[in-house]
Amino acid sequence: MSVAQEAALPRLMRRIGPNALPIAIIVLVIVFAIAQPAFLKPDNLIGIVRQVALIGIMATCTTFVVMTGGVDLSVGPVLAMGGLVAYFVLAAGMSLPIVILAGAATGFAIGLVNGAIIAFLGLPPIIVTLATLSIVRGSALIVGGTDQHLINDWPEYSFIGSGNVLGLPFSIYIFAFVALVMIFIQRRTPLGLLVAAIGDNERAAYLSGHRTRITKMLVYGISGFGAALAGIIQTSQVHTAIAIYGPFGTELDVIAAVVLGGTSIMGGKGSVARTLLGVFFLGIVNDGMNILNVSVDIQLIAKGAVIVVALALASWER
Amino acid sequence: MNIRPATFALVGFFAVAMTAFGVFAPRFASASNMEDLMGGFSFIAILAMGEAFPILTRGIDLSVGAIVALVGMTVFDLSLIFHLPGYIVLPAALAAGTLAGAINGILIVYVRLQPFIATLATLATYRGIVYAISGRQLVEGLTTTPITDKWIVGLENYLDIGGPLGISKLFQTPWVPLSFLLMLGLFAVLQWVLLLSKFGRSVLTVGGNAEAARLAGINTGRIIIAAYAISGFCAAVAGLLLVARLTTSTEQLGFGMELSAIAAAVIGGVSLAGGVGSMFGPALGAFLLGVILLGLTLLQVSQYVQQIITGTILLAAVGYDRLLFLRRQRRANSSGG
Amino acid sequence: MDQPLLRGAGLTKIYGNLVALNGADITIMPGEVRALIGSNGAGKSTLIKLLTGAVSPTLGTVEIEGETVPLGDPREMIRRGVACIYQHSNLAPAMSVLDNIFLGRQPTGPLGVVNVKQQRREAEALLARHGIDLDLNAAVASLPTVKQKEVEIMKALALDARVILMDEPTGWLAASEVAKLHTTIRALKARGVGVVYISHILDEIFAVCDTITIMRDGRVIAERQVADIDRARVVHLMVGEKLARESEQASQHKRRPRGLGDIRMSARSLGKRGVFSDVSFDLYAGEILCITGLIGSKRTELLRTLFGSDRFDSGTLEIEGKAVSFATPRRAIASGIGFVPEDRHREGLLLDLSVAENLAMASLSRFRTGILLRGKRMMEAARRMIDALSIQPPEPNRPVRLLSGGNQQKALLGKWLNLSPRIIILDEPTVGVDVGAKAEIYTILRRERDRGAAVLVVSSDLEEVMTVADRIGVMVSGTLTSLHDADATDIQQIIREMGGAVT
Repeated sequence: MSVAQEAALPRLMRRIGPNALPIAIIVLVIVFAIAQPAFLKPDNLIGIVRQVALIGIMATCTTFVVMTGGVDLSVGPVLAMGGLVAYFVLAAGMSLPIVILAGAATGFAIGLVNGAIIAFLGLPPIIVTLATLSIVRGSALIVGGTDQHLINDWPEYSFIGSGNVLGLPFSIYIFAFVALVMIFIQRRTPLGLLVAAIGDNERAAYLSGHRTRITKMLVYGISGFGAALAGIIQTSQVHTAIAIYGPFGTELDVIAAVVLGGTSIMGGKGSVARTLLGVFFLGIVNDGMNILNVSVDIQLIAKGAVIVVALALASWER
Repeated sequence: MNIRPATFALVGFFAVAMTAFGVFAPRFASASNMEDLMGGFSFIAILAMGEAFPILTRGIDLSVGAIVALVGMTVFDLSLIFHLPGYIVLPAALAAGTLAGAINGILIVYVRLQPFIATLATLATYRGIVYAISGRQLVEGLTTTPITDKWIVGLENYLDIGGPLGISKLFQTPWVPLSFLLMLGLFAVLQWVLLLSKFGRSVLTVGGNAEAARLAGINTGRIIIAAYAISGFCAAVAGLLLVARLTTSTEQLGFGMELSAIAAAVIGGVSLAGGVGSMFGPALGAFLLGVILLGLTLLQVSQYVQQIITGTILLAAVGYDRLLFLRRQRRANSSGG
Repeated sequence: MDQPLLRGAGLTKIYGNLVALNGADITIMPGEVRALIGSNGAGKSTLIKLLTGAVSPTLGTVEIEGETVPLGDPREMIRRGVACIYQHSNLAPAMSVLDNIFLGRQPTGPLGVVNVKQQRREAEALLARHGIDLDLNAAVASLPTVKQKEVEIMKALALDARVILMDEPTGWLAASEVAKLHTTIRALKARGVGVVYISHILDEIFAVCDTITIMRDGRVIAERQVADIDRARVVHLMVGEKLARESEQASQHKRRPRGLGDIRMSARSLGKRGVFSDVSFDLYAGEILCITGLIGSKRTELLRTLFGSDRFDSGTLEIEGKAVSFATPRRAIASGIGFVPEDRHREGLLLDLSVAENLAMASLSRFRTGILLRGKRMMEAARRMIDALSIQPPEPNRPVRLLSGGNQQKALLGKWLNLSPRIIILDEPTVGVDVGAKAEIYTILRRERDRGAAVLVVSSDLEEVMTVADRIGVMVSGTLTSLHDADATDIQQIIREMGGAVT
């Protein structure tokens, strides 16, 4: 290769780098559409969005946590807890807004506890959220047992997950709303800038007069909120609340989406919008493979390989 | 050799827990319970010791559970489908696990992925491979066929040590599981490697200050790959022990064990920041968890509460470690600057 | 004639479009202490990286004792006897001093077991030979910074290096320790070891170096015997005509002790147990007060309590007549205090964020309406500040990481100036900043002073202190021992007082 060609390659890589994900999504859509035209049918496409709505809500809400250099491994059990609390409040005869508030607030509160321990005691996020994963799961099992709590008599609640508005599942609207709110917070509010600053250099942000610890606590609260909201939607979709929802692996799917979107696990600059790309990318891969009848094992292998390749490209860009 | 205060605390807790449960929990201080403890938690100890190596290099290995399953399924297939004898299957299994671990290291060093992400990816991939090669799915009837090869099954063996030594005339001694002895052996070897060998020093250096290690001429890439290979090897040993116990393997083998391994290592004083820790901590941490879980079960405490308690212990351990760290820092700051 | 220990010829390094180093030659003879000086971007660090094998050159060769050596391999360079002591710590903090001295090269027996006895023997002999006192068993992290530097030196000496590069070795050392380091260097000289002394501090260069290599814009532009050159000429060569004149002019400014006459900050008997005690001074609007002293005089610790990142436990602090005791920097900022910390990378700047974001970081409320952040307003303010401070390149969206040291420091300063603070506190404001940017920063400080701000500077650079201060305070071992009008004292007196002499 001539010197000029050699120099051109890294430049090409650098230009592909940040756009790798959108390009990959387009390529995949084309490939899947050719292999199986049914892929492009509106039913299927809507199905993809509905599938990713839950992970999508959790991923967008947890992006800030990752940006501050942390991680929230407890989202699975919080999802279950959110659904359970909503069920019990619903069964107690409360009105729908209170039910949703109760469930979401539970997740927010658990997140705040995570955040407080991490921000004020300085303990490592992996271990803290690992510990709360255990604690919340145990609590959920105590509260709800292993029983399936059926949600059959509350049509308005079921509407959240199973209803349709203008032909689209209502859960998609919720997802879109949450995503837009998070993007807005990131781009147009001081909180968004502060989160990036904390992820970059927490000490410098603190010395610039910001309440960094409270901010960190807040981002974990948001993450917990997202998980609980997803839990409410899921219980509404399947009409059941069980303490074992959000099984081990959920948090890994959520983190994978965030990381694929380009937010570094080490913290610093990140983007909720790009997390959305990561979410859709994974969703398209999953759905495409399902439509092509790829077996479960190959799917898992593919998922792992995809993460590796995507992140390798991202690190070459740097 | 300096003994860290964290290690003292760990031993202290262990002693307290043993005594407390021995007094309050029925049948805790019995030979059969000790057998359960040793038999049930030796493989967690092995996983924790292996996990310690990546953590010492300031990384983490989330894939150990998946490697356990991978090795387990490899053993299953090689024995029940290919009918290979145990003395070929065992080394093959160990090699597979070590290779799986080394791949983690390669992803981290050459593809430059963060350890969290790399081992997350292999976690998914290896689980997928387990499904792909699963003999249980591929061949009819194997789900009910036990492995009978004596090399493999022989791993699940109990040795009467107290008897020949005459101790069992005084009180009933537990029969020591072979897995426990293997754990001790592995502990001795790994501890020796970590504390006494140049390789061990290099591992601690890479974790303590990777740039300094590189400039000192240490081949940090090789050290990191070796650390993850060791983790994979230990996962393979654990997998073998589990298969021997169950006389079969499932796709779910090792599910969630990475969390226990990490928890045991952290409780054992291995710092997530790298460069601090030994094999003693993780091993003892694993048995401490075992003591508490078995003790609570004998006290009829529900599984769910046990989960809560396990999480709380983890928090307490890492909180204590942080306290010690802050105290060390304060001392260094006041003596100069 | 002696053969040179090290000879680099035509060393060149090109990164893409950037020529970091262009045909540099450097020769070190046995027993020669060569200073290497140059502004940031002059190519010094690149040259060092080539010599230590951290990077490989695009062009050029290096010979060690006559033999051409393969480049780009740190291990090879160490093997050949080239060692480097860096500014940042190159030690494994949790490991012992003994292990750190032999980092990566522990003597081994069979099976790769470390031969601890032999290690210890060699280490103790080394310590005895150089008269250094270190606890071999102590964990490095538990040692004070000064001792950690000694471990680094021991590490290099244990390698029996033929040439030792020292990169800004006295950054965190007190004057007495600097003297000790220079003694050690002279001892190395006597044994025929060559030293490359990379520093900005002319006093030290003229004290201990034999020869000086001056770099600018990626080239070696002059090599002289130290005895044949003076400071003015060195600065001249380093920065070229224009900036040299500017920095000369800077030292001819009028002093304004006690400024406009009203007291902004008043400290009475401030103390923090075990750290500093009985610190009293008044800071006036419209003046620059420089507090100088040796390391260990606890000036940074004092500053922290003034700003709220730490607390004092005795005495009183008044800001414009009101007694205060800040619990957090947030409160201090609300009272109109800005603080530029010593370590701009660790405590001041958000390296991956843009210049504009960094500039706005302490004054976000100015750009906020309700819950919205006004991006456009932030940009405009950023452009104004970039202009006022001549930050290069003048791109508000540029990540601060890509700026040179001097421009980064200006950006950091700009962050606080955006607050229009009534009191500005700066801790070692020109460490790691090239001469040109230094002069610009002094100009900025004078401008703020003339606008009525009260400026408090802590600096160990006596030349800087004499250049920029209206009044000078000396702190010794945690006590403020004297305050002078800058015109009423001279550098010798200040040095005497820093050493503890009472006038």
